[in-house]
Amino acid sequence: MEIDFSIIWPYMPVLMQGLWVTVAITLGCAIAGSLLGFVVSLGRMVNNVLVSGALKLYVEFFRGTPLLIQLFWIFFCFPVVLGISIPPYVSVIISLTLYMGAITSETFRGSLKSIEQEQHDACTALGLKHSTKVIYIIFPQALLRAIPPLLSNIVSLFKESALISSVGIADLMFIGQNISNSTAHPVEFLTTVAIIYFVVAFPLTRLVGYVESRMLTRYAI
Amino acid sequence: MNTAEVVVNMPPANAMEAGQFIQLDNVFKAYNNELVVMDGMNLDMRADDRLVIIGPSGSGKSSLLRVLMGLEGIQGGDINFHGQPYIKSENNDSKVVSDELHSRVGMVFQHYTLFPHLTVMGNLILAPMKVHGKDKQSCIAKGRELLARLGLEDKVDYYPSQLSGGQKQRVAIARALMLEPELMLFDEVTSALDPEMVTEVQNVMMQLAEQKMAMIIVTHDMHFAREIATRVVFCAGGKIVEQGTPDEVFGNPKEARTREFLDKVLHLN
Repeated sequence: MEIDFSIIWPYMPVLMQGLWVTVAITLGCAIAGSLLGFVVSLGRMVNNVLVSGALKLYVEFFRGTPLLIQLFWIFFCFPVVLGISIPPYVSVIISLTLYMGAITSETFRGSLKSIEQEQHDACTALGLKHSTKVIYIIFPQALLRAIPPLLSNIVSLFKESALISSVGIADLMFIGQNISNSTAHPVEFLTTVAIIYFVVAFPLTRLVGYVESRMLTRYAI
Repeated sequence: MNTAEVVVNMPPANAMEAGQFIQLDNVFKAYNNELVVMDGMNLDMRADDRLVIIGPSGSGKSSLLRVLMGLEGIQGGDINFHGQPYIKSENNDSKVVSDELHSRVGMVFQHYTLFPHLTVMGNLILAPMKVHGKDKQSCIAKGRELLARLGLEDKVDYYPSQLSGGQKQRVAIARALMLEPELMLFDEVTSALDPEMVTEVQNVMMQLAEQKMAMIIVTHDMHFAREIATRVVFCAGGKIVEQGTPDEVFGNPKEARTREFLDKVLHLN
């Protein structure tokens, strides 16, 4: 079979539509998941065994099972268990948000715990109240420390979002796979899809390194 | 460096008498009920005292400062400040009794402990604004004045990572002074500094000393201790072994343990 990459051009607008869906779902779930992760990380640090235990179970479950299973379970089983129908887009958004929430909660928890005891001591020495300490000293430093791993999490989510094609969402992967099947040109289209993923993900991974080194220089944290 | 005077808060005249300023009464502290770091410590400090605490590692020097700052509790004994209960042990636990008294004590740590995400000015104004409820503009004005006096007027918008060790430590001193404390605690503040930066920090402390600021200083620098102290306290094994004027302790130590320690340290110096 002859390899001809010129065949992809007429399909580029459709592939770009798929990319738009991938980016929109990734960004939406990254933002919602990060907020969820932040709340979960705080919840896990409270002194209530029931709350912290339940949240730990959630985090461990979503970190310890394949994303594909989570997508399938929420897509196929959730409606059966709850007796309601969930549109596919909502289903994948729930899955990816819960997955991202579990991953980022660990990122936030790690950064909150990484604030040195000396910083807490300095706050006590200055007479800062607990709430002032948390809002003005601990959270800002923890959030700054969380930014590089958070960006890495988002890059991973962007790549892993290709799995949502398996439940019929017309993302970049889904569209690329369908076109390659219907045109019988898998090499050209799957290669193009891979390149598009790379072109988006690579600058983001570079950005992680840049942000990390810039923060190290400026804040030394 | 600008050597103009740093204005300090003076305690009331009656606090100049022994027992009216800081008084430790049989203070006991142990970690995990095993490692005893303060074993029945008694101490009377006057408001015009500059106590320098010396002693080997693990002798309870830093623990004493951390207890006075309310960073750690005690398991026995009482501490009074201005004749009022300051830290009191109850049921094997303890806490600072009065926030008002607590805010009259400032502390500078060995490792600067500046807030890395805030500028120098941000570090200075946070506590006065949030603890004393002062307005931002007056805090900034006071901060600028203080930084100018410490030779740091051009570092207002710098982040701590952009400063040298000596500059960081001077900012840390300025941050503590912003709250106008009556007592300053210095915990080995020059230990982490390069030798050439030690002097710039010690100069600032000498300025404070000249203005009769009450200070408790933990240091391994015996020459500086002799220069700045009105009273030297030698601790070992969680106890105060000996105390006196610098001339008495360094020139004619009474206790064998003190002599042994000084022989080693002065020989090393």
